[in-house]
Amino acid sequence: MPGKTKVLKKPTRTLADQSYLVEVVKGLGTTLKHFFQGTGQMVSGRVPNAVTDPLAEGISTLSYPEEKRAYSERWRGVHRLTHRDDGSPRCVACLCCSTACPAQCIYIKPGEYPEGDKRRGYERYPVEFVIDELRCIFCGFCVEACPCDAIRMDTGTHMTAFDVKSDFVYDKDKLMSMVSQHGTQKSENPRHEPGDSGHPGIDRLHGGH
Amino acid sequence: MPTFKLDDIEIPFEKGETIIQAAHRQGIEIPHYCWHPGLSIAANCRMCLVEIEPGPGQRAMMLDVLKWDAAKNDYVVDRKPKLQPACQQMAGEGMVVRSESSHFVKDARAHVQEFLLVNHPVDCPICDQAGECKLQDYYLSEQHTPKRMLDEPVHKPKATVFGDTIVYDAERCIACTRCIRVCDELVGDHMLDLRERGNRFEVVVAPGRKLEGDYTLMTEHVCPVGALTSSHFRFKARVWTLKEMPSICPGCATGCNMYIDVDLRELRAYRNRPRDNEHVNKFWMCDDGMMTYLRESEGRVLKASVRKESSREETTVEAALERAAAGLKGVQKGWLAVLLSAQASTEDNFVMVEFARQLGAPLYLSAKGPWKGDEILRNVDQNPNRAGAVAVANNAKVGSLKDLLHAISAGQVQAVVGLGTDIDADAESLAVLSRVSEVVLIAAHDGPLAARASVLLPAASTFEVTGSFMNVKGIAQEFRKALPPKGDAVPAWDLVARLGRAMELDLKYRKFKEVRAALAVLTPAANPERVPAADAPSTPPAAPTTPSTATNP
Repeated sequence: MPGKTKVLKKPTRTLADQSYLVEVVKGLGTTLKHFFQGTGQMVSGRVPNAVTDPLAEGISTLSYPEEKRAYSERWRGVHRLTHRDDGSPRCVACLCCSTACPAQCIYIKPGEYPEGDKRRGYERYPVEFVIDELRCIFCGFCVEACPCDAIRMDTGTHMTAFDVKSDFVYDKDKLMSMVSQHGTQKSENPRHEPGDSGHPGIDRLHGGH
Repeated sequence: MPTFKLDDIEIPFEKGETIIQAAHRQGIEIPHYCWHPGLSIAANCRMCLVEIEPGPGQRAMMLDVLKWDAAKNDYVVDRKPKLQPACQQMAGEGMVVRSESSHFVKDARAHVQEFLLVNHPVDCPICDQAGECKLQDYYLSEQHTPKRMLDEPVHKPKATVFGDTIVYDAERCIACTRCIRVCDELVGDHMLDLRERGNRFEVVVAPGRKLEGDYTLMTEHVCPVGALTSSHFRFKARVWTLKEMPSICPGCATGCNMYIDVDLRELRAYRNRPRDNEHVNKFWMCDDGMMTYLRESEGRVLKASVRKESSREETTVEAALERAAAGLKGVQKGWLAVLLSAQASTEDNFVMVEFARQLGAPLYLSAKGPWKGDEILRNVDQNPNRAGAVAVANNAKVGSLKDLLHAISAGQVQAVVGLGTDIDADAESLAVLSRVSEVVLIAAHDGPLAARASVLLPAASTFEVTGSFMNVKGIAQEFRKALPPKGDAVPAWDLVARLGRAMELDLKYRKFKEVRAALAVLTPAANPERVPAADAPSTPPAAPTTPSTATNP
């Protein structure tokens, strides 16, 4: 069935179109119009001043990496081993963290306190405590698993970029040297030592029974 | 066979058996601490209490009790049946016993469990028993409730050294007296006893003595909680990272069944544990057997080596085999001697015998010298497989190492192919080996014999291969591969077969099951597959046995 035919008119190009010059001048005109309009509004104070306002206080951008943002309390950074009052690790080498670790990046070699030590029998301690920070996925399971609040991830620091792979393997001394965001090497949770006055325990010699 | 009903399940029993024994044999576990199938009945933990319904025409024995009524906010008078310890109560024909189905029993267990934990330190994170502790298991299955006692628990001595092998923690102890009964009944030496009563009790060693003897580790093995710990295993590993591998103790000719607990991440054996087998070791092992896992990594031959002049040179297994084959080819027929080993598996010795038969070589057997045996488990013969090595020789004459050294000094031997380094001879008497042109030794461990070898080939230890031992009673038992071979080590039978092929002999064995199949045809008595699986439960259904409370002499 023959339909109605519509004939389209071919667009024509004038000399002005073909020379481009007129359109360029028109475009520049728009740019300049906005330039003078904007500057005028800024100078007259009708819009924020993009040049002077960032220099004022209270803005939310930072000059990273010179300036660093403080992380939230629960942000998981590089691990640290917390200290007791006498500077020894709170860790009792129970291997709960290495059991919980899904990346299997924690190695602990437990040891026993020697005969005569007041902690002998009550506790053991880590002879070696090694975390491979490259393997670590920073899930925080080790912190959750720890019954002694001995391992924490509240240092607020990233992993440093080392040149050598072995530098990423943190040993006990390195982990014990880390400090928390608040600058402490201890934990706020109290800890009672066997034999301390604060220890709730009483033994055969000192007890009333 | 008479039967009784336990929670509506018919349980057959033999006359004189207790309820818990009969149920245990059927694979039904009634919670218990102090009862052990291999020990006498103490009935002191009260965990296995069950309700026994009165017989027809009988009245139930009921007790008046006070029960807390939350609605009245007061105690009310109530009655409950008198429960009986299943470990002590003899089973009777037609008896109706309620365990899981009785709420009185469930209540009693929860309360017994709470009592046992009243003074417990709950130091599970640093306790070696955690993960295989009955207190943990029964807390989860029977108790659920938190501790109600608010007072400070009683504190008692910790880390008391009982002897060279055992460390005791009185706070974790539940006074089940299993360890005391092991000393009394298995060893027959009353070294341990219970002191004081109530919450002050504590297990002590007899004054002036320490826990000693050949079965001290069994006290730790039977301990259902973490009170007794082995000083060797103490703090070394957590049990949940270990995997148990069924094996046979290579310590003596008794062939005790055992588990090797290995850490598959570190590929290391951490301890041995007895595996129940009524016909061999019942429930026990001796201390030396328990420590055989140490030898697995000590003094191992990890690389093939060849002697050059006065020094040894490490080389590949292939190169060493070529060198050995070249050295042995020059030896005239009949001038080669083959040395079997009573420490090696039946399969290794079997292929060695095949090798010797094709070369017409006489057989000799190296073995460790005798040690102090006893009437309990330890056989005087320190070698796990003397019977197997002799059996695969199929009536051929097997001389001793002394005979071999004698033959060498008489000038009747030009070359020796040997298995193993465990010998009953001093290094000086081996000096005659320098008269022999070639000594090819396939060994897992270093030793004076290995030092004399001109070609030393690294064999896998018995922890690293599947194989079998035939014990002194003639029972062939299979042990399974627990760890991958260390270094360049390969199974000894494979090395013998490859050496044979390099010498153009007809030794086709390339897979272990081919060796086993040939063994089953040629020496069926030494084939472990003809006996029921050794890792079956403690009381295999075969041959009626006496109640296992019977103790060793």
